[in-house]
Amino acid sequence: MMLDAFLAGAHQVFAFDTLIYMLIGSIAGIIAAAIPGFTVTMAIILTLPLTFSMGPLQGVSVMLSVYVGGYTGGLISAALLGIPGTPSSVATTFDAYPMARGGEPGRALSLGVWSSFFGTVISTIVLILAAPPLAMIAVKLGPWEYFSLIVFALTIVASLVGNSLMRGLIAGVIGLGLATIGPDPMMGQPRLTFESSILLPGLPFLVVLIGIFAISQLMGEVEDHGKGNSSDALIPDVIEFKTWSVMREVLMHPVNLVRSSLVGVFIGALPGAGGSIANLLAYDQAKRSSKNPEEFGKGTPDGVIASEAGNSATAGGGLIPMIALGIPGSAVDAILMAALMVHGISVGPRLIMDNADLAYGMFVAMVVSSLMMLVVCVLSMRLFLRVTDIPKQFIVPTVMICCVIGAFALNNRVTDLYLLGAIGLVGYGLKSLDYPLAPLVLGVILGPIAETNLRRALMSDGDWTVFFTRPISAVLLAAALLSVIFSVRSVLKMRKKDRPATDEQDGD
Amino acid sequence: MSQSTAKAAAADASASAALRARSEVARLISYIVIGSGAAFLSLRASTLPTSRWEPLGAGSFPELVFGVLAVLCLTAAVRAVIDIRKAGGANRLGTSFAKWLVARRYSFALFGLLVVYLALLPLGGFSLTTFVFLLIAQLMIAGISKKTLIQSLIAAMIFSVGLNMLFAEVFNVFLPRGVLFAG
Repeated sequence: MMLDAFLAGAHQVFAFDTLIYMLIGSIAGIIAAAIPGFTVTMAIILTLPLTFSMGPLQGVSVMLSVYVGGYTGGLISAALLGIPGTPSSVATTFDAYPMARGGEPGRALSLGVWSSFFGTVISTIVLILAAPPLAMIAVKLGPWEYFSLIVFALTIVASLVGNSLMRGLIAGVIGLGLATIGPDPMMGQPRLTFESSILLPGLPFLVVLIGIFAISQLMGEVEDHGKGNSSDALIPDVIEFKTWSVMREVLMHPVNLVRSSLVGVFIGALPGAGGSIANLLAYDQAKRSSKNPEEFGKGTPDGVIASEAGNSATAGGGLIPMIALGIPGSAVDAILMAALMVHGISVGPRLIMDNADLAYGMFVAMVVSSLMMLVVCVLSMRLFLRVTDIPKQFIVPTVMICCVIGAFALNNRVTDLYLLGAIGLVGYGLKSLDYPLAPLVLGVILGPIAETNLRRALMSDGDWTVFFTRPISAVLLAAALLSVIFSVRSVLKMRKKDRPATDEQDGD
Repeated sequence: MSQSTAKAAAADASASAALRARSEVARLISYIVIGSGAAFLSLRASTLPTSRWEPLGAGSFPELVFGVLAVLCLTAAVRAVIDIRKAGGANRLGTSFAKWLVARRYSFALFGLLVVYLALLPLGGFSLTTFVFLLIAQLMIAGISKKTLIQSLIAAMIFSVGLNMLFAEVFNVFLPRGVLFAG
């Protein structure tokens, strides 16, 4: 049964047209993430409308190839310019940039590419081993446990992402609130629509996603306008990549590689925590365990391996809760989930049972994507280096147009474009005020699931104490409470130390 | 540490404190706006008819969610007021907010342009309105010179007419033709 599903999935992924689309996706992901300020999430959002005409597995495979390529693309500007192409490659700048500055840009890039490849493969192996048994357990959960699981997921997201637990919680609850606009998920009764035809069908998730993430990010890109965006580019004409010797070098650090990948898988599997946290945590762990921690930050290969293996491994890790529980691990996984929903496939614990070929096909697509990324990077890294030179004046307005097309193509409704504008402004306002956006997006996608389960749970007698008397539900709610308490405690500790608050923005 | 270094460090610290206070004021305003909106929506949801088939009706969940949101915003607002008072910046609310807006003038200009573009899209059609939007946006970001004008004209042409053709021919997605060009 499992082998049949695996072969059926592999058969679809290895179709010629799917492979070609995945190759294009891989290249697009690398290029997109190589552009500073352009995140993996935005690249996936822009890919989504292009996959509407494809089959579910073909579409998701293409998006996975953009995803895997994107995690690697961020490395290019991180290594060569010292600017992380995406927040997931912040720690890569610590060692890859000094290494490139020290006259070994090719080695820095090759180290990153190979580490990303091995990181993705290790995370896929964990995904294949962990997702099916987890799904078997998850199908036995009742609405009480499921509702508590969503509460837990949202509090974890709020406490892990961004600089403030309170703003994280507010963002998550705004997401839940936005999801309640339109017909209610059980009886279809219109709510909070103010008799407006725009709001009557509810807020389309993808329009919210594009507005919140892409439009707000693009508006943020022109904030520092006038400060000049020319960087002292470090792109020599001749770069020696030393592909095969670097592969051996990466494999000579097996402990660091596996540890960083497992950190990535674990962080990726936590809802809301993605590559932006994993790369820093993996780097920190590598430094702590190193015999020569003083070499970190000066161009040590261990630093590059830890960061890149860590951030790439989140791809497989994030898919574990999405495939097994129907709870996306990150904003990107939320988009993948939405893409499946657009094709009429319900994502949840039953995905592996009802659409086994699709789930196993996604596993195969992950491995194929990482192989493609490797081949594309090894063969044509030189070309991608030039991408970092494209000026903002072309990128920002053009990507904005792609967002408009994406929002329109979903339902062919002009009114969705008005929603896009309004939501984009709200997203930008929240982002400028240092609200993390990932909890909001997860709130929007989890809102209807949370409501349905809450109402089902209370349908028989309306007794709220059941959530605390059922053991799994009680454990999940206690874990949610603990995550908030720990987060508050760490904030109080930081205040005691009187460290000034940073005003950094999040994103993934 | 020399006297000039100490002065520069003090000026830096004061500027960063002012920036933090300004962000906190802007956040306070956001808590008030979001909190008030949430309270209104929670009340509105409570007026929705209850269900005969279940204890929770269609309005219960939004009432609960927006209620929680209002409480969270109230808590955050109280904390923000305390922080602003500590920073000694509560007496310049208007100025702080204005400075926050001014620092983001290009972003809002770009957004204004997007709004006009979205409003005109159904009338002018994708190719024409996109061409104009891209041209103006690119020149706004890059500044006007002979070189940027030529570059922007070429890029606007490719990404307006070109994208329209790409989506129609390859992806079968037909973008708005526009009232002016319809029929």
